[in-house]
Amino acid sequence: MFLTAVVRLLAPRTVARAHCDLPCGVYDPEQARIEAESCYKIIEKYAANDDAAFRTRALHIKEERAELVKHHLDVLWHDYFKPEHLDTVSGLHDLFWQATKQASKVKASTDLADAQKLLDLIDQVDAAWKATGGPGKTRVAGRPG
Amino acid sequence: MTPAIEPGDWLLVDPTTARWPRRGSVVVFREPDSGALAIKRVAAGPGDRVGFAGGYLVMAPDEAWLLADASEAVTAAAGHGPPIDSRRFGPVPLDQLVGRAWFRYAPLRRIGRIPRLAAAAP
Repeated sequence: MFLTAVVRLLAPRTVARAHCDLPCGVYDPEQARIEAESCYKIIEKYAANDDAAFRTRALHIKEERAELVKHHLDVLWHDYFKPEHLDTVSGLHDLFWQATKQASKVKASTDLADAQKLLDLIDQVDAAWKATGGPGKTRVAGRPG
Repeated sequence: MTPAIEPGDWLLVDPTTARWPRRGSVVVFREPDSGALAIKRVAAGPGDRVGFAGGYLVMAPDEAWLLADASEAVTAAAGHGPPIDSRRFGPVPLDQLVGRAWFRYAPLRRIGRIPRLAAAAP
């Protein structure tokens, strides 16, 4: 009883973590591509509509989607691609730098050309993912074609 | 942070040293991404240079580079992903430091000071 009270008195009040990531191991640039396509379509809808409330909502949603593009690209860059992939795909760091910068640009832009450029860069990331064996390594097999 | 810190260790944290972290010290801080309390080792302090992505970063006067002791290879061998540290969330502002973990008072078999060590290569 006394010992329990002493232990309770000395026990830490807060907990600090020293954790590692626990990745599911599923990576696919398609996630970034779909969010970037959303940005593209929203910009089209924004340009075709004069309603102020609609346009405000469109800008807000586009900014959310562009942020998700950055997130999905960051996950690919940090977690999927490994140092040895730099030998397979030259300019990988620069490609991600350009793609994430372009996602930031699309977040603030209503120019369809900016959204198209982002799609093109994500397609280059997709090519790098495929060149490094991404589909076989990271996706669950057995999906109907 | 094993072997320096094991899960379940009870630590004394000195909050007076939060603003002048020394390289090699183990510090408790708030993670920039989540705000959660975390513990890592100071790999570089204000004004220091750290290697990153083929180049280097220079820490601002108000930030530090905090790393796990374990390398990515070690955590991968243990079945985990990469350590979540400055390589993930970047430099940590000094005002996010809570204090320096300096003494372990439980479990009994591991009581003692937590030494300053050279951090893992940034």
